[in-house]
Amino acid sequence: MPSVLAATHPTDTVYGEVGDATVPLRFSASSASSAAEYGVLRERAAVLDLGGHGLVEITGPSAVDFAQRLLARDVEYLTSDRCMMSLVLDEDGQVVDQVVAFGREDGLLLESSCGAGGRLLEHLRAHQEDGVEITDRSGELTVIGLEGPYAWGVVGRLIDAELASLPFESVADATWDDTEIVFARTGLTGEYGYQMIVPAEAAAALWTSALEHARPAGLEALELAMLEVRQPIPRHEATPGATVIEIGANWLVDITKDDFVGKDAVTEAFESGGGRRTVGFTGCAGVPAPGTRVLAGGQDVGEIVHAVHSAGLDATLGLARVDADLAAAGLELTVGGLTVTTLTSPYIVPKSWSIPII
Amino acid sequence: MTIDELRAKAAERQQTCSQIKKMIVSRLDLEIEPGWITDDQPLFGRGLELDSLDVLELYVAIEAEFGVALYDSEMAVFGSVSRLADEVNPALRATA
Repeated sequence: MPSVLAATHPTDTVYGEVGDATVPLRFSASSASSAAEYGVLRERAAVLDLGGHGLVEITGPSAVDFAQRLLARDVEYLTSDRCMMSLVLDEDGQVVDQVVAFGREDGLLLESSCGAGGRLLEHLRAHQEDGVEITDRSGELTVIGLEGPYAWGVVGRLIDAELASLPFESVADATWDDTEIVFARTGLTGEYGYQMIVPAEAAAALWTSALEHARPAGLEALELAMLEVRQPIPRHEATPGATVIEIGANWLVDITKDDFVGKDAVTEAFESGGGRRTVGFTGCAGVPAPGTRVLAGGQDVGEIVHAVHSAGLDATLGLARVDADLAAAGLELTVGGLTVTTLTSPYIVPKSWSIPII
Repeated sequence: MTIDELRAKAAERQQTCSQIKKMIVSRLDLEIEPGWITDDQPLFGRGLELDSLDVLELYVAIEAEFGVALYDSEMAVFGSVSRLADEVNPALRATA
């Protein structure tokens, strides 16, 4: 499904197929474009076309109970002024998706990860029960993001300065140019981050207006910045068979919650203490492909999960999944015959951590 | 390094991280097991969702438990448990 903003993007925008979505990878055919967009995101303010994120509404008298059973975090008291990120798991504890759940007066609105809206919708409908209505709102609504150390300034100029200083994961119903939008303080990259859920027919105007104050950044820049602060990217990290513990996404699961789909499997994986763990690394020449073997002292101890060239580090940056007793920063391992060094996260310290909202 | 040397080096960091996790859970009275916190997960905002009051509590706890004062440090030291481990056990950084 193409972005509703596609007509507004430059003609040389490079798109990619991600799951069921066609999304802008970078906003110029130039290969240097991603690094420039990354620079905007880390140094100033970027506007993000998040139209590849599906939106699913859960309503009905049993909506909250249903969401509480399907989401791995506790959403029982998620009021309409709050949102939270959560994993959605299947019965085997495998990651179906990583969502942002918005509390709404009549239920919840779930925002899928990039390209996973169809998969999320299918999973929810497979578990649907009486008293629950599940509606795909992806065609009617879209998501526009703002991210960067000065994104708060863009919010002030675009909508309302008071919205910029909302606490993290707060939500407000706002108005932009007589259009009702859902505004949230979120963030995927460690920088100041905001999301606006907008009616599709108003999205192009809001996007164009945002571009008067910020530059666009595509998925390549966004995912690099997410990786740098160890924000899970399910399409890369939730490899088949990997447990939540191996992925290192424990914080997106409320293990103290009474019950949820997949809890037994997650608990078993945690209590067993076995398997592998994910650790960041840098070094080596080029970008090793997922599945490339990782050696320690000449022995095979794991594999590459995901790697890219980091414009911030000017080096290869990636995640490896290795034996649990070797998942630690500061080790020299071998990938493709070359030495890599494991890292402590975050791999880049976001500029926003030292810049107050004025 | 041999694999046993690498395991020993990893164990040293994991031991410090484990000590920090136990301290966090105890001081902040969290309901989770310390091992549920991962070495790399964010602590402030996302992840463990600590707030500024929690951080003040941790300043005191870290000084009491590790003899390290972090009061004037940047927030980056709370970037993850592993990052905190670098601060409270500088030997980990020296050998990294």
